[in-house]
Amino acid sequence: MANKIFPTLGRFRFTVQIIMLFVTVYGGALLGTYAVDRISQALPSLSCAYDKVTGDQCILIVTQHQLHHRIGEALVNARHIAINVFIPTLISVGTFFALFFFLNKAFCGWVCPMGTVQELIYRIGRRLGRPLNRFEPRNVHKVRPAKWLMLLVFVLGLPLLAGMGLAADGLGAPYCQVCPSRLATTLLTLDAEQIAVQTSSGIGFFLNATANALFGFVIIAALAARQPFCRICPLLSWNALFQKLSPMRLVKRQHEKCEKCSICQIACPMDIHEIGREHGKKAFHEDCTLCGRCAEYCPDDDVIQIKFFGIRLFGSGREYYKKRVKQESPDGFPKNRVIWLKPINADKNG
Amino acid sequence: MNNRVLRVAMVALPLLLLSPEIAANAGPQPEHATHGDGHAGTGAKEKKHSMRDAVLWTVYPRLKIMMGGENRAQREVTLLPKNVVPNSIDAYSSNIKSPDAHRQLPYDLVTAKLGKSATGGFYWLSAREDQADKVTVASTVYYMSERGSKNPTAMFMQQKNALEIIPQPFPREHSRYRANEDWKFLVRFNSQLLAKQKVNMVTQNGSKIELLSDAQGIVTVQIPDDFKAIEVQKNTGGHNHGRRSSEFVLATEYVHAGKTYLTGFNNSYGPDAFDQRSLAAGLGFMFLGMIGAVPLLRNRKVAKNTAETGKKEI
Repeated sequence: MANKIFPTLGRFRFTVQIIMLFVTVYGGALLGTYAVDRISQALPSLSCAYDKVTGDQCILIVTQHQLHHRIGEALVNARHIAINVFIPTLISVGTFFALFFFLNKAFCGWVCPMGTVQELIYRIGRRLGRPLNRFEPRNVHKVRPAKWLMLLVFVLGLPLLAGMGLAADGLGAPYCQVCPSRLATTLLTLDAEQIAVQTSSGIGFFLNATANALFGFVIIAALAARQPFCRICPLLSWNALFQKLSPMRLVKRQHEKCEKCSICQIACPMDIHEIGREHGKKAFHEDCTLCGRCAEYCPDDDVIQIKFFGIRLFGSGREYYKKRVKQESPDGFPKNRVIWLKPINADKNG
Repeated sequence: MNNRVLRVAMVALPLLLLSPEIAANAGPQPEHATHGDGHAGTGAKEKKHSMRDAVLWTVYPRLKIMMGGENRAQREVTLLPKNVVPNSIDAYSSNIKSPDAHRQLPYDLVTAKLGKSATGGFYWLSAREDQADKVTVASTVYYMSERGSKNPTAMFMQQKNALEIIPQPFPREHSRYRANEDWKFLVRFNSQLLAKQKVNMVTQNGSKIELLSDAQGIVTVQIPDDFKAIEVQKNTGGHNHGRRSSEFVLATEYVHAGKTYLTGFNNSYGPDAFDQRSLAAGLGFMFLGMIGAVPLLRNRKVAKNTAETGKKEI
């Protein structure tokens, strides 16, 4: 029965993504106005607090607020540094980790509403016959540090400096002000307020303008590139900090065919070329979102697996691979596709 | 332009709405909207607020909340009853199973202090004056942004006084009452719904509205957009990020067994969501970003080794 409803991991993940999109965007309407207070307030995905009916909110807004209003202030007034200052932050991180422990970075690949929105747009892009833009191995390293920079500057640095009085108060939650998920999730509730940029302060205007331009770029880029915002998302780097502490893992064993194959690399929406070349711990890269596509598109039995406490949850297999590629190519082109706009080189490719 | 129409149009036609006349005004930051600063700011802003408040803008009972202390960790909440001489001031926590679920606050005949609790959440604050022929109640809700808050609905619905005005719901954290929004309140007496009960709304900005509850005892209030005549507050720092804020009170009176009951519910509210915001500029920047991504959509000439698949590598 379950096999009929979810014939592939991809179908199962897509179903989870759609359900989580509703929970993270409209969950408050389903679970009650105060649901956000009851679930976690520290979700490891971009579930936005600006969305008035969200079911939960992301760990990054809590972190920025606590750095701004508690730790920053307390550092200035050293005498006030006390256990009751740090406990709320520790509780937030602890709550986050209690969730993260079980799913690890699957929160990025299975739960994050911004990730789901980008994937949906990418699917539309396939239907529109748009090209696929990828980062090749020699260039991908140039973009990877951006997510760490976003985390250090926008989530940790500026809120702390604002709390210490060394930066403007308007920089108290700067990441939220540039986060495209704030715009995506509020627009999904038909609320256009967040699209309107602040005019009351220069900092607010600059941050909001940046957010809007970034959001505009992402929703168009997602038609022709996979997960464009995820590459620089500070939650990806935040989650990477805790990645090794969760028993949920992507595991790859060495196999003689791997050097020539590279299908898993093509299937990876984050252009993690290491998944094709490396094995062991190095294969579970910091950019991995545990979407499981590499395991789905590996044509050899149990070379790539997703494991929880060493128990195999999903593993690659030849028969599964044959079934999967009949539905969709590794880079996401549907096999039974209806192409709304014909690609220029479609005739040449047959 | 009607905001609802605008919102729907925004989603349907994001690329077409670049007309300048839809530039709307500003909006307060939803963050910290109910982080315990719902009523007043700190420092200079507090003085300014107090000066405005010194002018009697309503005769209805209300509980004014004032914040003290320089930093958040030591901030103290002071309650100042207005138009009521209370016999007692009570605090009810949304954490209804905690030992602090109901506390009578120490009252020095001028102010009462709400001490910092171990857990955060919503607090229902109520000042009651009992006289032989009249009971006057001022009530409000205060949010402490600490962890461990519980769903406040059960606490809100507990009977705390005879005549009550109860928010249905109260804005949750990161939200607040704002101009042009509709909010519902339940009016009841001894836990019985009061249909067709007259409720008066008065705002600090000078609006006066008369409302009537429906058959379910619900009164729907559209928060008035009456900030235009009020001077824009400058950002003086503190915790409310320079947001403009004013106060409203809802009041109702009911006579039962020869005794008059007068109850007020007051809280703060902010300007319209689009106040001090520009939708046209926002759309413009979004459009710029879209244009920036357009080259990615073109089927340009691809490298020889990837020509068969139509893929490009950056």
